[in-house]
Amino acid sequence: MRRLSLTRAQRRGLLGSALLSLLILAIVGAYYAWGEAYQARILYAAFVNLLVVVGLQTFMGNANITTFSHAAFMGIAAYVAAICVTPAAMKAIALPDAPWGLNAFQLSPVISALLALLITGGLGLLTGLFMARLTGIGVTIVSIAVLVIVHSIFLHRTDIFKGNQAFFGIPKIFDLPYVAALVIVAIFAARLFRESSVGLKLRASADDEVGARAMGVDVYRARLIAWVVSTLFFAVAGIAYAFYLGTISARPFYFNFVFLTVAMLILGGLRSVTGAVFGTLLISIGLEVVRWLETGPNIAGVKLPQMLGLSGLLLGAVIVVVMAFLPKGMMENREVEDFLPTERH
Amino acid sequence: MFRLGSKPKAAFPGSGPERPPGGDATAMLEIRQLRVFHRLIEAVHGIEISVEEGQCVTLLGPNGAGKTSTLSSITGAVRATGSIRLSGEEISRLPIEERCKRGVAISPEGRRIFSNLSVRDNLIMGGAVRADKKALFAEIQEWFGHFPVLGERAEQMAGTLSGGEQQMLAIARALLSRPRILLLDEPSLGLAPQIVGKIFDIIKDLKARGITILLVEQNAAAAIAVSDYVYILNNGRVTRHGEAAEFGDGSGLMGELTGMHA
Amino acid sequence: MDYAIQQALNALSFGAEYALIALGLAIVFSIMSLVNFAHGEVIAFGGYSMVVIGTLLTGNPWILMVGVLAGCVLASVALERIAFRTVRGADLTTGLLTAFGVSIILQNLYLLLGSPRPMAATQFIFLDQTLSFGTLRVSSLQIYETVATILAIVALTVFLRRTTLGMAMRAAALDFEMVRLCGIRANRVIAGAFAISGLLAGLACIFIMARRGSVQPHMGFDPVLVAFVACVIGGFGSLPGAVLGGFLLGVIEVLVLILLPQEAGGLAHAVVFALIALILIWRPDGILSPAREKGDKR
Repeated sequence: MRRLSLTRAQRRGLLGSALLSLLILAIVGAYYAWGEAYQARILYAAFVNLLVVVGLQTFMGNANITTFSHAAFMGIAAYVAAICVTPAAMKAIALPDAPWGLNAFQLSPVISALLALLITGGLGLLTGLFMARLTGIGVTIVSIAVLVIVHSIFLHRTDIFKGNQAFFGIPKIFDLPYVAALVIVAIFAARLFRESSVGLKLRASADDEVGARAMGVDVYRARLIAWVVSTLFFAVAGIAYAFYLGTISARPFYFNFVFLTVAMLILGGLRSVTGAVFGTLLISIGLEVVRWLETGPNIAGVKLPQMLGLSGLLLGAVIVVVMAFLPKGMMENREVEDFLPTERH
Repeated sequence: MFRLGSKPKAAFPGSGPERPPGGDATAMLEIRQLRVFHRLIEAVHGIEISVEEGQCVTLLGPNGAGKTSTLSSITGAVRATGSIRLSGEEISRLPIEERCKRGVAISPEGRRIFSNLSVRDNLIMGGAVRADKKALFAEIQEWFGHFPVLGERAEQMAGTLSGGEQQMLAIARALLSRPRILLLDEPSLGLAPQIVGKIFDIIKDLKARGITILLVEQNAAAAIAVSDYVYILNNGRVTRHGEAAEFGDGSGLMGELTGMHA
Repeated sequence: MDYAIQQALNALSFGAEYALIALGLAIVFSIMSLVNFAHGEVIAFGGYSMVVIGTLLTGNPWILMVGVLAGCVLASVALERIAFRTVRGADLTTGLLTAFGVSIILQNLYLLLGSPRPMAATQFIFLDQTLSFGTLRVSSLQIYETVATILAIVALTVFLRRTTLGMAMRAAALDFEMVRLCGIRANRVIAGAFAISGLLAGLACIFIMARRGSVQPHMGFDPVLVAFVACVIGGFGSLPGAVLGGFLLGVIEVLVLILLPQEAGGLAHAVVFALIALILIWRPDGILSPAREKGDKR
C-alpha cells in the first residue's frame, strides 16, 4: 500500500484550510449564540457566495483569466435541483406548462443534487473543451457568451424556468449547518487543488504560458481540469441556493451577481483561497450595512435619504480602488498559514 | 548599394543639433555613478562613461554585461540612479520623451522599426519632435538620396524590409530628430557579413560628419575600427577602458568579451 | 425585392452602430491593452448631457448634437485621466476589472443623481422618418446612420494615416516604448485615443437617442456588450476587425430575425451568441486578429 506523501505546500494547505474552517465554525457559533433569526438568511447567502467565490478562485485565481459564466452554471444547477426535488403537486401549480413531464415527478434531495451536479458538470466539460484552448481574452468573452445564452434560455423557456418570475414551492432541505459544512469541504478542496500538481502547473502557465509549455506542461489539460472543477463548485452553490430559499428566479443569475462575486475575489486576492474567504466575508458584511443605509434609516434621530444605487456605487468603488492600489488583493499570494510564526530551518 | 555622399559637413542631415552646441569643454555625454535596476536586481553597479562631442565611443562586453542597460538608462527606458549629463544638462530625472527632445536618439537593439507603418512614415515619426515639418520632409528626401534603397521602398511597409535595410531605416529615423548624441545598440546583430560591412561604413561616414556616437557592439573588431574610445563592461562594471588604438583588432580581448577567463 | 432592400438596410444600420462602438473599444485596446467596459457609460453620459443641456439651455437639436459629441469626448478623456491612468501598463485582468468597476460606479451614479426611471430626451427623434421611394419604404435614420458611419471610418482612416498623432497611435499599438523614444508623449497618444473613442461613442449616442428618445442608467450596457463581441470576432485590437465584426453582427442579427420563427424571437439573442461561440471555435483569436506570436514584446 503506497503511503500518501504530501508536499510541504500541501501540508500547509491542510493547515490553512483548517484555520479557515475554524473561522467559519466561529461565525456559525457566534450566530447560534447571539444571532437573531433574520440573520440566518444573510449568513446563508454569504456562505453560498463563498462557495461561488472559492470556485471562482479555483479557475480564475490559478489561471489568472477573468471569467463571468459562474452565475450561469449556478443557475443551471439551482434549477435542475429545484425542479427535481419539488413535489409534483407543487410543480403542477408552479410549472403548469412544463414539457417532458417535468412537473410530474419528484426525486429525493440526494438524487436531485447528484443530477444537478452531473448535468452542470457535463456542461462544464463541454464548454471547457473549447474554452481551454482560447487565449485569455477569448475565454473572457466566451464566458460572457455562456452567461448571456443561459440567461436568455432561462428567460425564454418560461414553461420550464418561469423566466423572471419566481419558481416557488421548493422544499427547504438545507439549513445553516449543512451549508457551513459544504463551505468547509469546499475550502479544503480548493486549497488542495491549488497545491496539487495540476494546480501548480496551472499557476505556472498563468505567469508564463510559453515558458510552461516549453517545460512540458500540458496547459490545455490543466485549464480544462480547473474549469470543470470550478463548475462543480458553482453547481454545489446553486444546489445549496435552491434547497434553502424556497423560490428561485432567473434574475439573480446574471451580471449583478457576477460583478459582486468577482469583486469579492479581487478584494481578498485572486491568487489565494484565504483571499476568497476574507473578501467574501468582508463584502457580505459591508453590503448589509450599506443596504441598511440605502433604505434611508434613522441614525441618532436623523432620517437619511433613500439612496438607491449606493451599494452598487460602493461595490464599483471597491473594485476600482483595489485594482489601483492593491491589485493583488488583500492577501496577494499569501494564504492564512503564512501569517503564523514560521519555524526556523 | 549604399552610396557615400560627398556633401559638406554642415549639410548632412542630422549633423549638429538645431540648437547651439553646449558651452565649453564639457563632454557631450557624462555618466557618473550609474546604477541600473531591473525590478529589484542591480544590473549596472556604478559606472562612469564620457563621450566627447564628435567622438565615437564603443561599449564592448559579453551578454548580460549591462551594455544595453546602460543605453536604456540614458534614454530613460529603465530605472537608474546616478548622474547623466548631456551637454552639461542633467537629464537623469527626465521622462523618456523629454530626453529625446533634449537630444538623445537611439537605434535600439533589434531595430524596433514600426513594421506596420511605411518607410516614409517611420522617418516622419523620427522627426516627430521637430517643429518645422517642411524642413523635416526636405531632410527625409535627402536621406532617400543617401540611402537609395530606402527611397525605392518609401511607401512599403517597413516590416517587409531586409535586416540591413531596417538598420539603415533605424539609424535614419534616429538622426531625423537632430540629436546631440546617437545611441547605437548592436547594429550588426543578425546581419550577414557584407551587410555588416555596409553598416559600419555608414557609421564611419556619420562619424566623419561630426555626429557623436555611443556604440554598443558584440563585433569587437569592426567596432574598435570606427571608434575613438572603448569601454569594456563585465558584470555591470567597467573593467577596462582606453583609446581605441590600444585595443588593436580586439583579438586579445577574447577572455573579457566572452566572460570566460583562462 | 423591396423586402430585401429593407432588410439589407437594417443589417447595414445595425452593423454601422455596432461598428462605431466597437471601433471605440478597439482603438483603446490596440494601444493600451485595456478592454474599456466603461465605454457604454460614456454613451449614457451623452444621453444625460442631452437631458441636462436640453433642460438648462436649449432644445435646438443641432446644438444638442454638438453637446452630445463634446460630452462624450470629455467623459472619455476624463475617464482615462481619473480612472485608468493608475492602471496603465498593468496586465489585462487588472485593466478589465478596473473598467468594470468604473462602469458599475458610473451606472450607479446615474441611478443616484438621475433617476432609475427613463428620462425623456426626444430632440433627435425627428431624424427617424419613413421615406418612400416608389413602393420602397425606408427609415431615414438608417440611411443617416450608415452614411455617417462610413464617413466617420473614412475620416478616422485619414487621421491615422496622414497625421503624426495618428501614425503614433498605430505605431504605439505595436511598440509603445519606441514611440516614446521618438519623443512623442505617451499621455498625448493615449488621450488622443480616448478622445477619438469618445467621439465615435457620441456619434453612436446620437443615433441611439434618435431611436429611443429616452435615457436610463443602464442603457450603455447592452451596446457595449455587443460591441465587445464584435471586436472579439473581428480580432481584438484590430481596427478593421472591429468594423468587420460590427457589420457581421448586424448581418447575423438580421438574418436570425428573418429566419427564426416568430415564437422563438426571444431566443435571437441566444442564437447570435451561439453563432459567435462557433466563430470563436473556428478562429479563436478573431477573424482579422493582428498577427502576434506568443513571444512578442506585447
